[in-house]
Amino acid sequence: MHYKKFVLLLLLFPVLIAQVVAASTSADWNAKPAAVADPIDGYHNFAALSAALQRAVRGNSEIARLSSLGNSLEGREIWMVEVGNRAGVATDSRPALLIVANLDGDQLVGSEISLRIIDYLIAGYGSDEGITKALDNSVFYIIPRANPDGAERLFSGVQTGQTTNMRPMDDDNDGRTDEDGPEDLNGDGLIGIMRVADAMGAYMVDPEEPRLMKAADAAAGESGTHVLYWEGIDSDGDGFYNEDPLGGVNLNRNFQHAYPYYQVGSGPHMISEEETRAIMDFAIAHRNISAVLTFGPHDNLVNAPNNKGELAAPKELLLPGFADASNTDARKTGTFATPRPRFFRRAQQDRTGRPSSGRRPETTVNKTDREYFTRVSEEYKKVTGLESLPATEKPAGALFEYGYYQFGVPSFSTPGWAPVSAPAAADSADAAKGSKRNDTAKKNESVDGEILKWMDAVGHDGFVEWSTYDHPTLGDVEIGGFVPYRAKNPPTAVIDSLGPRHGEFAVHLASLFPSVRVAKVEVTDHGGGVFRIEVEVENGGFFPTSTAHGVVSRSVKPTMVQLEVDPEALLSGDAKTSFFPALEGSGKRRAFEWIISGNRGETVTLRVVSQKGGRDTADIVLRGE
Amino acid sequence: MRRANCVAKKSVVLSLLAISFAAGGLMQPANGQSASDAKFKVRLDFNRWHDYDELKADMLTLAEAYPKFLTYSSLGESHGGREIMLMTINNPDTGPELSKSAMYIEANVHGNEIQGSEVSLYTIWYLMEHYGRNEMVTRLVDERVFYIAPSVNPDGRQHFMAGTGSGARTGHVPVDSDNDGLYDEDGPDDLNGNGVTDQIRKYVPGEGTHRISHRDERILEPVPPGEKGDYVLLGYEGIDNDGDGRVNEDPVGGYDPNRNWGADWQPNYIQGGSMDYPFQLPEARAVNDFLMSHPNIAGVQSYHNTGGMILRGPGAEWQGTYPPEDIAVYDVLGKTGERMLPYYDYIVIWSGLYTVHGGFIDWTNDGLGMISFSNELWNGGQYFNSPKLKEQQQDSENEIEPRRASYFFDDYLEFGEQFVEWEAFDHPDYGPVELGGWKKTRGRVPPRFMNEELSHRNMAFTLYQADEMPMMNADNVSVEKVNGDVYRVRVDFENTRVAPTITARAAENNVVDPDLITVSGRNVEVISAGWVRDRYKTSATAMIDQHDLNRIMVRNGHPGHTTRTIEYLLRGRGDATIAYSSQKGGTAEVTASLR
Repeated sequence: MHYKKFVLLLLLFPVLIAQVVAASTSADWNAKPAAVADPIDGYHNFAALSAALQRAVRGNSEIARLSSLGNSLEGREIWMVEVGNRAGVATDSRPALLIVANLDGDQLVGSEISLRIIDYLIAGYGSDEGITKALDNSVFYIIPRANPDGAERLFSGVQTGQTTNMRPMDDDNDGRTDEDGPEDLNGDGLIGIMRVADAMGAYMVDPEEPRLMKAADAAAGESGTHVLYWEGIDSDGDGFYNEDPLGGVNLNRNFQHAYPYYQVGSGPHMISEEETRAIMDFAIAHRNISAVLTFGPHDNLVNAPNNKGELAAPKELLLPGFADASNTDARKTGTFATPRPRFFRRAQQDRTGRPSSGRRPETTVNKTDREYFTRVSEEYKKVTGLESLPATEKPAGALFEYGYYQFGVPSFSTPGWAPVSAPAAADSADAAKGSKRNDTAKKNESVDGEILKWMDAVGHDGFVEWSTYDHPTLGDVEIGGFVPYRAKNPPTAVIDSLGPRHGEFAVHLASLFPSVRVAKVEVTDHGGGVFRIEVEVENGGFFPTSTAHGVVSRSVKPTMVQLEVDPEALLSGDAKTSFFPALEGSGKRRAFEWIISGNRGETVTLRVVSQKGGRDTADIVLRGE
Repeated sequence: MRRANCVAKKSVVLSLLAISFAAGGLMQPANGQSASDAKFKVRLDFNRWHDYDELKADMLTLAEAYPKFLTYSSLGESHGGREIMLMTINNPDTGPELSKSAMYIEANVHGNEIQGSEVSLYTIWYLMEHYGRNEMVTRLVDERVFYIAPSVNPDGRQHFMAGTGSGARTGHVPVDSDNDGLYDEDGPDDLNGNGVTDQIRKYVPGEGTHRISHRDERILEPVPPGEKGDYVLLGYEGIDNDGDGRVNEDPVGGYDPNRNWGADWQPNYIQGGSMDYPFQLPEARAVNDFLMSHPNIAGVQSYHNTGGMILRGPGAEWQGTYPPEDIAVYDVLGKTGERMLPYYDYIVIWSGLYTVHGGFIDWTNDGLGMISFSNELWNGGQYFNSPKLKEQQQDSENEIEPRRASYFFDDYLEFGEQFVEWEAFDHPDYGPVELGGWKKTRGRVPPRFMNEELSHRNMAFTLYQADEMPMMNADNVSVEKVNGDVYRVRVDFENTRVAPTITARAAENNVVDPDLITVSGRNVEVISAGWVRDRYKTSATAMIDQHDLNRIMVRNGHPGHTTRTIEYLLRGRGDATIAYSSQKGGTAEVTASLR
């Protein structure tokens, strides 16, 4: 087996880096890498990742600990690094940020960024005030590689761009499992796309960019000239090419919000996979998780949810979609008309006399929560310098959406980088003048065109020119297209820069966590063993103790305020065990008042427990005026 | 014999064997009229409620008595470490389990809904005691496989049986129902030690909300607006165990084990008690692992109580209606069931009962392609089950008018077994109160003496369902020489039962492997294949447009009570074996000789 290496990238790193983060002021930002190296060397395969994680925590157990949440199907650990100073309040009682990367097998960049976040946090503890505070008061749970089996396909064998895990699945439901995957016919080490001249085809060469294809638009006088397939042969002789490859389930389509039922890649049901189950079991055992950050193909950080609470429209690569479309009918073959059975009578209609409980799950960000998403997005763009993303996917069953819609906390996703070309006019004098025109031009450009332009600009060798091949059943075909992984993963030098910036962003998120405390206690002695206790509870953090949706969905526990007296000693006022659903941050307070019977000098404990905002206690001595 | 056609027409291996057993003298002369009833080999009680250990003991007794047919196993452990008992009924002489269409029967997912376990036990017992004695039972056991899990929530069952019966619906995975960070720390308490979680009432003359009815002193009735009664109700028996100022606010468990399944699963705020993700509960996961590894299961029955219903999905209106082909099948089965089960209605869950998201039979129908019913066992109308008594109940002066009926029944039919008289009690929080009320074994379960009939009727419906699961048959091979070594070969494929080999919903969701029609023969090549449009007219066949004609896929299966004729153009000579194989309807094959 062999694989084609990433090549020709590093010569152009300075250009690339400068363009990815245009507003950079970092000192090392424009530094040229010392040596040109194979970029794969910079990415960590599973062994290297495991070693790097072990190295990171070694000797640092006070602030970082490595554990495994479970094993993948192929037996690899789902590593989780807990970063937080373990002295003081138990880490699982502190607000936490859960970071999960590489659910999508081909999104290794998130893994690499996560590694650098871990290093950033550990290295900065004790020297950087923000990091020190974050590790003392909160905790980070970082799962750098949620799909280790899928990710490992980058490092050996033919490059397929595996997105799923390796669970055997009968994708085309023909009674055979994983029987028709792609083949590297031209021996270039990667799976490309075959284009075949065929008057029945729906696609044509893009006149603007002859390396690309577009769907023919009959209304514009265009007719299709080509059919597109993934590179390979029809291994099972069913007339479809590569419709049932190895694996699997896309873990980021296996969670409970907007779950795509019964689709290829979504699994037999929600949380069907060892990997997703390990993450879920961890999450529900750690309700102190106050925010979620995932790295993947979805975005709500560069583009915050709009004023209706919706995500920006996805922008997906066309070429792979065209090849996928050749297999759309594979799951329909063999559907025959069913004659009306002779016992068939008029079917019973579901009686509609009784109205259904019509409540449906929320699918847009709660109005009250939107501002928080917007604020975080602004900070994200500022810290990372990322301003636009040419390619994103529509989430369905994605972890970050579960995080908000069902776990009830602020929850984010980002690819973590952007294959964005520098604005064409950036270096020219008439940048400002031309920007409007450029925007218009950009709108007409396909996602493929934009990414190809970026690859050309930075010399990222991510596209294979079409070359002819004599196919055993299709005859003359051309093989070419995007190199797997390259449109989704940048050279490591980009990561070396963006990694710490995401560390900075993670620390910023932790600084926003709600933080409850007993802000004021007042005791009045009314004589006769009767005391009045007045208390104010404050949220000194930025986020509310629960998102508005967390209240609606009852997924965030209300904050409990409990006065530890015998129930009989309570004469009037609030309940001994009181709750409030949410308290806004930035110093907002809430008052409680009790009248109790007790003995002068006696101490009564007040406990405040917030699931997402930590806890506080106050020992109240019964004395006063 | 009823539904005899099912046997007569089949040429598959299974039924031939079944007939040969019958013919081979297994049938005992008990069918005749002259002798007393044959003795049962195993004697079990169906007029009492079994706790977990008793149920398991009976299961093991049966398994030992009928080792050839019965295999006892556990689907896995409950949260509390109990076995999720399973009995597999399979005749090994008629083929391995997975080669035969199977019926999965379970009960008691709600721990307090106990009588389904007795129905399950009765079913195993009845099938075994009547095998070889009754022709139809013999055929069923030979043709089908039965998987019977009498209690899929054994923790809940034991909580119901050993405890007071209160709070037994749930399973026992701890849930912090009151959000105080403690789990299951404040449930009801049997303060007076009478084994019942009583209602608490306090005597407050002239200040209460309830009064004693003049019709029967046991009836506590609310007073009309503007009037005052002598009693207030203070909830159920218990104390503030955790000293948080509230009583009974966090009992054991606190979720619904029948909302933790994978179809239309919804989070807690849409569907209370669903937990955090489908199959999170160890019991649900164990059952699902079993079902997913047994694609031969075609039919499902999950016994619940109460109300007298034959339920089918969908559980929620927004799931839309089932495809019409599937509804037609459900209707045939459900409407027949209504005639077998007096006081039971065949209804759709969301429109006839209430909305359920993430329910068990929605998952087995939508996600596993199994025809699924859930019977709500026992209808209160059965206490006074004759038209004359129904008429008497209309009269408000009659002793069995609705408010007094249950007391009458208890007095005269159950000898006062079910009502606990009110007794004074000094409550630690409420002072002098009275405790009393109905026992756990009244209301949702039938009176014990009526449970054998309940068991038998529901079993009969479920066996009828099992019998109508798909069964493929291949017949009427014809070979006609076209020219040279090219032959036209026709075969009839028939599904002799009501249910299709693949439901329309299963085909939509791609959750059942497609049926396959294969041709094998050393010197045979398939030129083309097509469906015969009309067996009695000459016309071109409807071409089957698939690349691999040696392995034709029928993705949406073979409908019930339907014959389809396939026509091949074959080139070659010698024997060609043509086989139809389906996961849920078995395999049928014929051989055509090309000569």
